[in-house]
Amino acid sequence: MAGAPTLPSRVRARPITPRRLMDLAAAAVLSCLAFVGLFPYLYMLETAVKSDSQFNSNEATPTWPLRFGNFATAWREVAPYLLSSIVVAACAMFGCILLGSVSGFVLARYRFPGRNLFFGLIALLLLVPNMASLIPLFVLMRDLGLLNSYPDLIIPQLTTQTVFSVVLMKTYIEHLPEELFDAAQIDGASPARTYWSITLPLARPIIGTVALFSVISVWSDYFWPELTIVTNSLRTVPVGVQFFQGELTTSYGPLFAGYLIASLPLLILFVALARNFLAGIEGGLAADR
Amino acid sequence: MSGRRRIPWGVYLALVPALGLLGFFGYYPDISGLVHSLTNWEPGFSSPFVGLANYRAMWHDSLWWESFVHLGIIFVVAVTAMWVIPLAAAELLITLSRPRWRLFFRYLLIVPLAFSPVIQVLTWQLIYDPNVGVLNGFLGQLGLEALEKNWLGDPNTALWALILINFPWIAGLPFLIFSIGLQNIPGEIFDAAAIDGAGRWKRFLAIDLPLLLRQVKLLFFLSVVFVLQYGFAPYIATQGGPDNATTVPVLRIVGVAFDAGEWGYAAALSTTLLVIMMLMSGLTLLAGRRRAPGGAR
Repeated sequence: MAGAPTLPSRVRARPITPRRLMDLAAAAVLSCLAFVGLFPYLYMLETAVKSDSQFNSNEATPTWPLRFGNFATAWREVAPYLLSSIVVAACAMFGCILLGSVSGFVLARYRFPGRNLFFGLIALLLLVPNMASLIPLFVLMRDLGLLNSYPDLIIPQLTTQTVFSVVLMKTYIEHLPEELFDAAQIDGASPARTYWSITLPLARPIIGTVALFSVISVWSDYFWPELTIVTNSLRTVPVGVQFFQGELTTSYGPLFAGYLIASLPLLILFVALARNFLAGIEGGLAADR
Repeated sequence: MSGRRRIPWGVYLALVPALGLLGFFGYYPDISGLVHSLTNWEPGFSSPFVGLANYRAMWHDSLWWESFVHLGIIFVVAVTAMWVIPLAAAELLITLSRPRWRLFFRYLLIVPLAFSPVIQVLTWQLIYDPNVGVLNGFLGQLGLEALEKNWLGDPNTALWALILINFPWIAGLPFLIFSIGLQNIPGEIFDAAAIDGAGRWKRFLAIDLPLLLRQVKLLFFLSVVFVLQYGFAPYIATQGGPDNATTVPVLRIVGVAFDAGEWGYAAALSTTLLVIMMLMSGLTLLAGRRRAPGGAR
């Protein structure tokens, strides 16, 4: 907000220029769009601090006093789902970063027979929608005896995220300056060392992107955990919040407090890594060319 | 070059984990689904070969084709309104002359991305609730009680109520892709246009739109992926009802497999969805390639 104090003096110096008018008009329209887009979340926040009787007498506007106790009630319900989601996201994230960076490094930096074929086979999986594999994957997991377990939650996430990770990392590493790798080779660095000491530190921005995408993916995946998990403590957030809804059918306050708590990890990560998120999309656009 | 270098055999070893994982959990299920779509699949038991019987059954499955009609409606909205509003927002964003404001509004507009889609649907479900929902409450306040509805429970409105979830649809990839695209247009081009006396609207038509068209191929592909996989919102909010008004292919597949236990038939439907997806993506990529040589880059 360092720019705020300069605003009034400018207004006095130059009353209304066409540019300023355009700014104001654009900001006004954008504010309306932002308000409509954010309304459900503001509503969620407002409802989360209401008691049942407050909600029943007035469902639309805020009421006092604010009932923060709803968050304690909700926490007890949501905590197991959060834990499960974090375990799944952490494993999938670590795995896809490892597999993606190693494969991306090799595919971007070495010439060998089959290089384009292997990359093509991996990238082709981008075109296969998860939902089309749902049925046969379910039967595969069933045959392996993995249904209703952590591996059952982690493996499909790891598979999907590794595809993204390899494609993004390969593109990113390809665009790193060639001289760094030439210099390393002249200095006699082994491939492993080139990977660990040069590629990984330089690839940090894209690693952040991949990490964020894998968490978003766990917080979005609905059908797989819904259809394969029956143990309550294994449920991830997307299916957990629905069960939690069943527990508190008519208590909207704790229900919405629970939605907020369940969203919190993703929200925090998103704020912290928004830059990576945007960079990742730009990288994706570059890869598309 | 290649004559001098020997084949670095170590690279194959490095690729084995990723290729193994994707081969077993990525490619194998799809191939297994294709093969078993020709059988009366009984997981855990022998699966007798039935030829194309499952595909013939699909041909006569009116619910399956009805679900594609719903998908068609969703797709039309996904490539029109769900692009136009984000494009307008992205244009307004670069109209702002202060970078600080641009950043502020951009974050404000994409905040909903940080919420789980399931939570978004559950929240909208309450907004649409016929008794305590704010939508009906709002209409009541305006004296428009006649317009109050059971939005998700009425076959006439249910599909549109689902589509309108997350209106104005700005927090998504189309907006991000448009706004990054517009941001990457060099400022000199705009300055040159301004000197030539091109107004804001003319600049949009003459500069922004042609440059953004390059992203349309990608966006079209993403919309195809999004729409063909669409299913969790009706699964949660309407279960495909009322009166099958919101059934989509994914719901039909899940129902056939998990409720009816017809795994071979479900595999045939899945394989069909996969083939449609590959065809649409292939066509998108080909259409883009033909235009590419004339492009700016």
